[in-house]
This record gives sequence, C-alpha cells and structure tokens, in this order.
Amino acid sequence: MNEIQFDTGHFEKRMVMNETTTPGYGRRGLGAWLLSCGLLIGGLGFATTSHAEMAEGFAEGSRPAPPSAEQIEAGKRVYFTKCVWCHGVDGAGDGPGADRLWPRPRNFNAGTFKIRHTASGELPLIDVDLFQTVTHGLPGSAMPSWEGILTEDQRRDVLAFVTSELVKDRSWQDTEFEEFHVLQLEKIEPVPPTAESVKRGSELVKEMKCIECHGLEGRGDGNAFNLKDDWGFSIQPADWHKCWNFRGSRQDAYNVKNIFRTFSTGVSGTPMPSFADNTTVEDRWHIANYVASLCERDKDVDIAGGNVTDEIAAELVAAQPRGIDPLTDKPKVDFVVPSKFVEGELPADEHDERWDLVDRRIVAMGGQITHKPRNFVTRIDDVWIQSLYNDTHISFMFRWDDRTKSVQEDEVDWEPYEVNLADYGIEEQPPGGSMFADDPEHPESIAAKQTAYQVFNDGLAFQFPIKWQELPAPRKPRYFWGDEGFPVDITKWTADGELKAYQGTGWDVDFDDRDDFTEELNVVKAEWTNGRWTVIVTRPLKGDYEEDAYIELGKYIPINFFVWDGHNGDVGRKMAVSAFYYLVLEPPIEKETYIYPTIAAIGLVLVEGWILTRRANRRKGKV
Amino acid sequence: MTWLKLVEGYMPMQMITELAICILVFSIINYSLKRAGMGLPKFWAGIFVWCFVNLFYLKYRIYPPIPFSVRAIYGTVAACGIFMWVSGSQQEWEEFKRPIINVLDAKTGMTKFIRTALLILLPIGLWGFAYNSFLPSFDEPIELRTVHPAPPATTKVHGKTYVLQTAANPYRVNPEGKYDQAYSNAHIVSQDMGRLMKDVKNPEDNPWDPNAKGYIKHVREGGEIFFQNCHFCHGDNLNGRGLWAFAFNPIPANFTDAGTIAQLQETFVFWRVAKGGIGLPGEGFPWASVMPPWEQHLTVDEIWKVIMFEYWHTGYYPRTWE
Repeated sequence: MNEIQFDTGHFEKRMVMNETTTPGYGRRGLGAWLLSCGLLIGGLGFATTSHAEMAEGFAEGSRPAPPSAEQIEAGKRVYFTKCVWCHGVDGAGDGPGADRLWPRPRNFNAGTFKIRHTASGELPLIDVDLFQTVTHGLPGSAMPSWEGILTEDQRRDVLAFVTSELVKDRSWQDTEFEEFHVLQLEKIEPVPPTAESVKRGSELVKEMKCIECHGLEGRGDGNAFNLKDDWGFSIQPADWHKCWNFRGSRQDAYNVKNIFRTFSTGVSGTPMPSFADNTTVEDRWHIANYVASLCERDKDVDIAGGNVTDEIAAELVAAQPRGIDPLTDKPKVDFVVPSKFVEGELPADEHDERWDLVDRRIVAMGGQITHKPRNFVTRIDDVWIQSLYNDTHISFMFRWDDRTKSVQEDEVDWEPYEVNLADYGIEEQPPGGSMFADDPEHPESIAAKQTAYQVFNDGLAFQFPIKWQELPAPRKPRYFWGDEGFPVDITKWTADGELKAYQGTGWDVDFDDRDDFTEELNVVKAEWTNGRWTVIVTRPLKGDYEEDAYIELGKYIPINFFVWDGHNGDVGRKMAVSAFYYLVLEPPIEKETYIYPTIAAIGLVLVEGWILTRRANRRKGKV
Repeated sequence: MTWLKLVEGYMPMQMITELAICILVFSIINYSLKRAGMGLPKFWAGIFVWCFVNLFYLKYRIYPPIPFSVRAIYGTVAACGIFMWVSGSQQEWEEFKRPIINVLDAKTGMTKFIRTALLILLPIGLWGFAYNSFLPSFDEPIELRTVHPAPPATTKVHGKTYVLQTAANPYRVNPEGKYDQAYSNAHIVSQDMGRLMKDVKNPEDNPWDPNAKGYIKHVREGGEIFFQNCHFCHGDNLNGRGLWAFAFNPIPANFTDAGTIAQLQETFVFWRVAKGGIGLPGEGFPWASVMPPWEQHLTVDEIWKVIMFEYWHTGYYPRTWE
C-alpha cells in the first residue's frame, strides 16, 4: 500500500523547468528548494511510484481566459485609487505605507501568492484564490476585506489589472511552463473532528516536524525567530491558538477546511511547505482537525506541551468556538472583567480548580500610536485575564501568547520610572517608503528590522484611577498613565521578576514610586512556557486611600492594560495598549435573591387557584 | 446567519425588506392553507408570529445586538399588534381564546395533562425568571459620548492661531493657485463610478501621474501621510476598520459614513486632527480616545494635505458656510 508517495516525476519536471526558463524571483530555486524540503520531510524511506502525476486530492485545473483590455483599464482605476498606497505604482509592495507595515504588503512582480488551491509553486486561481483574498482580506496583516467597498465587478477588474500588468515574471497564459493542479477541496470528504482524529493529528504534527517552527503547543514559538521569506524579510510561524489571524481564514476562522487547504498547498514565498506529496488526505484532515481544535475556545484546555492524551483530545473536541465579531473578525470583546470571591488563600498557580469559577476575558491590544515613539507593530494582540479575590487580596492571572521570552541582558541608561526614552535613542520607525523607492530590500523598513532590535524585558502593566470613587461618571483619568489632577495607580510587572507600584500623572511625566505599596504586591507565578506567559499577581484590596486604588465590591472600577514584547524592541512608551475595561468584584449572592422569587411563585399559585375556581364556578352556573 | 450578509449602511432598509417579505410569505401560506381548508388556528399563528419577530428576528438577526430593554418595547408593540389582529371580530376572538378555555376546562385527557403541567411549570418558571433578574448582573455600563462636540472659535497649532470660521485649506487650489472649492470638488474620486478615479490617463485626475500638479499632487502627498500614519486605525478603506480598530473604544471614525467628515467643515476636521483625543472637551471623552494630537507628529501643511486626501478618497465635499 503506497498511500504516502514521493512524487519524483513531478519534481524532476520542476527541476528541468527551473534550468530552462528565464527565471522569475519566486521561481528561482523553488524546485530545488521544494525537492530538498520534500527529502527532508519525506525522508528516504518512502516508496517512489512512476505513475503518480499528482498528489492525492488534486486534479488538473483549467487556465483562466485572458482579461479584456477594458477590464484591465477599469481595474487600473481601482488599483490607483485603493491599492497603490501599500502595493506601490509597480506592484512591488513598496507603496508609501509599506515601510511601517509588518508583514510587508505583497510584491506582485514574481507572482508569488500565499493562499492558494493550486499545488506548491504554481500560480493561484484568479477567480477563486485571489478573488477570496480581495474579498475577505488577510487577517493579521493590514490587508482589509474589500467586500462592501468594491463591487464584485470591481474586485474582478482589479485582479485583471494586477495579474496581467503587475505580475511581471510569470503569466497565467504561459502554456509552456504554467500548470494548474487544483486541490479538490469541495469534493474531498472531510474527516469529522473526533477525539481520535485530534489525537492522531497531535502525533502527526510531531512526525511531520510542524512543531519545529510552530512550537510544541503550536503558539508559533518554535526555533523560528530568524525565519525569512523569499524577499529576505523576517516572518513568523502562525500561532495555531489564534485562528482568526490565519491569513487564509477567509472570515470563517474556525473552519477546518481553510487549514486543510493551507497545509495541502503550502504558503508560497515562505518557509511553510506543501505537505501534499508526503501525507495522505486522511492524515492531512487529522492535522487540520488538531490545529483547528487548538484555536482558543470557551475553555482553556491545557495540552501539556503537545502530549495530547485521550482525555485532553476529548476536552479539545468538546470546547465550543468563541464568538467572532463580524465587524472586526476578532473574538468578541466584553469590557467587564469579573472577579469572584473565594474562601481562604488565593490560588498559588494556574492549575487551581477555583479558576474555573470565573470566566476568562480577552483583552484586545493595539499598538500605542498616540504619542512618540509610536509602535506600528504589535507582536502581542491580546491578553487573557481572570481574577479572584478573598477578604483581603485580589489575584489576577494574565496569560498571553508571546513567541519569544525576552529578558533584558544589557544594562540600560535609564531608571525604571523614566518614561521619556527618546533622549536615550528609543525612537519610532520613520515613515520611509515613497512611490519612487527602488531598493528591493528596503533595509530601513520595519519588516527588515524585526529581528534586529535590542532586546528589552517583556512586561505587563495595568492601571486604576486613584480615588475612582470620587470621579463623576463617566470621567476617568486619561487611559495613558493618567493626567494632571487625575492620577492613576499603575502596577507593572517585568520579565526580570520585578513587580512595582507606581503613580502616573501623564503620558510624558516620569512615574512616582509607591514603595510602600510595592512591598504589598506579590508575584505568585511568572513563567514562560511553549510560547505563552502565565503571570499571576496579587495585591491588597486596600492601601492608602490617597495613593492606592481601593478595590470595592460590586462597583465598576476602570482598568486598562499595557503589554511589552522585549524582542519587538518594546520599552517605555513603545508597547501595546488596551481600551478601558471595568473590573467588577461580584459580591456573594444575598438572601433576598432567593426570598423574593419564592414569594412571587407562591403568589402565582394563588392566582392560578383563583382562576380555576372562578372558571369552575362559571361552568357550574351554566350547567 | 452568515449566509445572508448585512451590508453596512443599508442595514435598516435590508431589515425592513426582510421582515416585509417574511410577513408576506406567512400571509400567503396562511391564506392558501385556509383556502385548502386547513387553516392555522389563530392562537398558534399569533404565538408563532410573535416568537418569530421578537425572539428570533430581533434577537439573532439584527447586528449589532440591541439591548433587552429595547427588545422588550418592540415585543410589547408586536404583542399589541397581534392582539388587534386576533380580536378583529367577535368570532375571531372566540376562535383565538378557544385553546385557552379548552385547557382551563380540561375535558379531555390531553388538556388535563397540559393543564396540570402548566399549573406546575408556570410558578417554577416564574421563580427562575425572578431569581435571574434579582441576581446582580454586571453588564457594561452605557456611557453616551458626543462624537462631534462644539468646536472652539480658534485653535493654536505650532505657534499660530487659526480662526475656525475663516481658516481655509491652503492646498485646495485651482491651477491658478487660488482657493477654489468648485475646482477640487470636480476632481474628487467620482461617485458614479463607485468612488473611483475618473480618468487614470489625465494628470488632473490621477495623483500618480508624474505630471500631476497642484491640487491632485497634494492629494497624493496627503494619501502618503494617511497610509503612513492614519490607516492603522481608520483603515485602508477609510471606514474606521484598521488593524487595531478591534482594540479601541471609542472606535475610530468611519470617514465613508455620511455622518462624519461629510457633514463637517474642513476647519473643524483640522481642529480635531491637530488636537486629537486629548484635545476634546469633556463630553467627547478625551481620556478614552487614542486619537493622537497630530500636531505632535505632523506639520500644519501635512495636516491640511491629509484632510484633503480624506475628502478626495471618500468622494465627499467639506461643508461650507454658504
């Protein structure tokens, strides 16, 4: 039984093709690279068959008809209104916006496109793949969904222009060298996402070495920090726990078919290969089911470093997808963070069962773009928070995915309370990029610099207004470290183990140390494992009323969050921020909650009796 | 319901049409069933319509979701409407209440069973409902924010004072170099072509033409600034759905909406851009907005250019005093 086939004929053809064509950027070395990849992953133990032309699940596709001159002309207008700003006048991905973006906008010239139904190295299907990309956008990048902005015709027009004028090194009409082997996604019967399938998938991702880049738990934290794409820009492996950020998620994040497609055809231009030639369709479904099951759901299932047991697999399958907000295509955000009462000591680690008492909330994080130095790339776009309290203290558990553990090694010249670091050379990314840029490597762009920052501490901070009880609603101190007259209570944890209390009085004013309160703060746990930070901190509910926020029961207490990724060069004001949330300590249930409903129910029974008696009397009267 | 998309900007019309179609379909079915001699009982038809409108349509179809209190009002109105429908004549009313009387009288085994079940379940249900409503609930508090607060008379940017009533965009000029809104209006992205450029070959219409001069060249420069600074929040479509829109509250302004820059004067936009969120008066929630005070990042000229680009790209005209 040769289910796993090593398709020599296919690769040989590619090798020949490679030597004889005028090579384009994307094609040069692609065949050789694919071959080496296939050898690496497939190993030498696979049987080779001469009759196999295509990988399992693929069929011969048809060539698109060349677009009309009118369509190209109409598409040109769309392109020069909407697309040119990032993709540039020659489609080289070097528009004015490009240098501050990561991932960088696509360079169309080589005809290399990430999300395809076609076999690895082939051009995408224009009316399926590229049309869906324009329609649904590429989440996790700046490419938005153009549905509702451009009509369907306009989207097709602009693709006619891009594919015929801006893809310069290859052509869909090139009958000599371009072939289309299309994944038959709609015809292949999916394997249902059962616990067995998920468990098998978790084994396969180890066998196939997916975890080398994507990490043991799939948080994209593998040995992959220095990965580069075809253009030499740094690139990071997908975090399987955030399916809504998958480029190919097509505004349908939890749909396992998207993962099956990407796994079958690979992501062109990146180190992510196609696995079509060395996995069976069935195995690909198992892997896709496993990857989809890891995407964050209502319950946070501990997958124990990827060693998925039957019980874990069953839990993964039972967990329900989170609601995705159709306006943002991200998980829905609830701005109320609940905290629940527990008797006795607060939890000592994340395994304490009492965390199950309270919902975890997602805190959406965006780049700090209000004041200099602005942060145009956030490697951390959300933080999960849970909170419990007892008679004297409150505990927060923060968990967030961070591909790199960053602990500052070099001495820095500034003190921890200083906020204006421009004097020390911490500056924002210059705008760069104009329509006339010509250096294809863009060494000054943010995408080229991503792996070259000085490493600072990872960190997390949250702030409450001091004396929030006295604020006339909805007045709050400014979200960014308060303002004059409205100071804030800042608690900041950094990866070097420090947990400190500060007072903030403005975005550009150095913090004041609150040393007395700092002594009362406690880092219960701070651990980075498999691409995720788990930080549990406790603080007293009350301190000095004049300096420290009093945490009271049953009140809406404004809180907002800040997070730093040291490998992103985040320090000082360069970080990610959240909007205002409300912390609410839910008070224990009072007696009245039981008494009044009981009285109401008894009342209803009496009314029922009355109605029945009346009806019965009436009927008697009639009789 | 992902198979039936709500189109932004057309939601109310879409929903009224959908409801009208549903009612029409229901009436046709009801009528044809009646003609066929299998008319639906009035009682069940009434309950079905009410459940469909209130429980299903208003709760699950409308997006963003409407609060319970508003739904309760609609529910009451719908109930009144249905009540009027079923009590149109004495005969219809008798027909409507017959199932209720039948259950109360409990002459058959079935109605007896239903009566007993209802007598027990109703108090239990009421208890549960009351308990739920007595449980302290912590929904997000509603905070009303003024999106376009009253502007000041003057604003000082980079050391120079601008009178909002008389200031003008220095780049909104015709080829002679004079301030000319009629000229610039004629060269915005054409509305009838789906907001796209009129003629990509004409240097007066195409900001990317190397021969572009004056107004249209300044539009391109404004666009470059926009796509280096503003799109992170306001989006590549200028519709307020940028990369980080999901993280911020208040959400970034949607310039393609007729309620933002289209109904504002250019100088108002200038004031808002220059001073940012922190420069808002109290009713605009200056503490919550992440909108940068752009005077910290851009020159006055750059601010004027980016404003002009926003009008050009969305195809709107700034409001004027005339």
